[in-house]
Amino acid sequence: MVPLDTNQDTRPSGGMQPLARAAAGRPTTGRTAVESSPELAVSIRGLTKSYRHPWTQKLTRGLEGLDLDVRRGEVFGYLGPNGAGKTTTLKILTGLLKPTSGWATVLGEPIDRVESRRRVGFLPEHPYFYDSLTGVEYLEFVARLSGMHAADATRAARAWLSKVGLGERERQVLRKYSKGMLQRLGLAAAMVHEPELLILDEPMSGLDPFGRRDVRDLILEQRQRGTTVLFSSHILPDVEALCDRVAILLEGRLERVATVGELMDGCAPAVEVRLEGNRLLEIPGRFAGVLERMDAGGTTGLRVTVPDRLQEILGWLLAEHVTVHSVTPLRPSLEQLFMAAAEQSAFHAQTVRRMA
Amino acid sequence: MTALLVARNTFREVVRDRVLAGIVVGGLVLLGVTRLASPLAMGEGLRLTVDLGLSSISWLGLLVVLTVGTALVSKEIDRRTIFNLLSRPLPRPFYLVGKWLGLTAALAAVSLLLGAALWAILAVMGHAGYAGSIAEAVFLATLELAVVNSLAVMFSALSTPVLSALYTLGFFLAGQWCDDLRLFANQYPGSLKAMIETAANVMPNLSLFNMRTLAAAGQPTTGTHLGIATVYAALYCACVLSLAAAAFESRDFK
Repeated sequence: MVPLDTNQDTRPSGGMQPLARAAAGRPTTGRTAVESSPELAVSIRGLTKSYRHPWTQKLTRGLEGLDLDVRRGEVFGYLGPNGAGKTTTLKILTGLLKPTSGWATVLGEPIDRVESRRRVGFLPEHPYFYDSLTGVEYLEFVARLSGMHAADATRAARAWLSKVGLGERERQVLRKYSKGMLQRLGLAAAMVHEPELLILDEPMSGLDPFGRRDVRDLILEQRQRGTTVLFSSHILPDVEALCDRVAILLEGRLERVATVGELMDGCAPAVEVRLEGNRLLEIPGRFAGVLERMDAGGTTGLRVTVPDRLQEILGWLLAEHVTVHSVTPLRPSLEQLFMAAAEQSAFHAQTVRRMA
Repeated sequence: MTALLVARNTFREVVRDRVLAGIVVGGLVLLGVTRLASPLAMGEGLRLTVDLGLSSISWLGLLVVLTVGTALVSKEIDRRTIFNLLSRPLPRPFYLVGKWLGLTAALAAVSLLLGAALWAILAVMGHAGYAGSIAEAVFLATLELAVVNSLAVMFSALSTPVLSALYTLGFFLAGQWCDDLRLFANQYPGSLKAMIETAANVMPNLSLFNMRTLAAAGQPTTGTHLGIATVYAALYCACVLSLAAAAFESRDFK
């Protein structure tokens, strides 16, 4: 596991490296004087992307002054609600969008150089393919585009089709593939040339539970062979199972970089107490704001929003001769995680301002 | 090298497209009908067969360009298949050149097939000696289609398929009458003349690729004509694709 929270210091308001700070806000030229550390797979400073409406000329910010480092060999989760700027970042890193200002390097190469994409594998969100090609033809084609020789590309294409469970369909045209199969093919296409950095935009999207498990296994396997994985997701258990660190993006701004555990700690914890049968219970005044009823399925449930008082609550329930069926810690939702990150970020900014 | 990979993929994609198969079958039927109708041409059956046969190669090729070529890049952008290509070490100009080269190769294959069918019909009619002039005419028709295709690729990279088709058709028609446009310019004084002449020079001079009248008489053209037409086509395509690449370079793919 890599050390934590290095990115917190690289936020615009934090302690950005002097060289990086000087370069932030400058458009990428490919000849930037800033050299990224060899330990970093991705280095982003001051990355901003604005869109201008063609008719109204109104400016919309997709990404604002993003500073982010992803270390080599780590699995890095990129989280945020829709429209937060996740896909924008990933597309800038892969050359599909041009940044308005700021710069980034991928495996040490500035992103405006085509060479920066040689050792990168990218899976776009909802990938689309050429209908008339077969699975093996498509993988051969993209492997060769990434610099593999013809014979190696054919071998790798066959191997990867088998690996993602499409080995028996290598001669079938892609228009006959199901949505899940196409997602698997997209993953194979991202990995067929054995990249050093994998950038995956919502890799679990459109997959059934078995497919999600397979993708998780593939990502873990890539981590074992030392590949850096940067992926965006909406599915918290996947992020929790895979990521060394995660970044939370809200409205185009980086709010926080931490481990999933740290993010969970930042959320208001809660515990669910479920009781036998449907009980008429009057919650005493001393538990106001601490206990909420959450009845479901003919049983009575209580949500304890201050777990420190759980013992006291259980004592009260026993005194009331109520049979407690279960006591379960509640996992925060992704939305709660985002809210907590935003609140912590605001609190952090206030603290920094006060100290200054 | 990467441009050739894109070209190969484009060629494969186009020849597997049912639109192309339909157009080729339509072309072969048209040649057959021309042969059947030739006895009604009052002794001009041979001339009619060659002329209509070569015209059908040009017009069917144009139909391929308008249906496939004008959507070649925009379809990839709409369907997002372009994400999987440009996120690899593929320079954008090479991508455009590859798309153009792939479709041009498919157009050459169609022209060759229809040209061979035309020659087979002529051979059946006892005029196998027309092979040389037919081959030259098919070569020039392919060059013409390559030029029109470069315009289609440029418009496709910058606009919607419908607008691209309209622009390409406009350039094709104007290109047919380039020489007339220059003559027309002479009727006007000063700046208006210069403007019309400039427009005529910007349009592709497609009459350079037309040797249907010669071929219908079974006569070959000169090596100089073939050379000039080849160099002109190469330069025109290079200019158009360079313009397209320059505009495509800064484009965002959302």
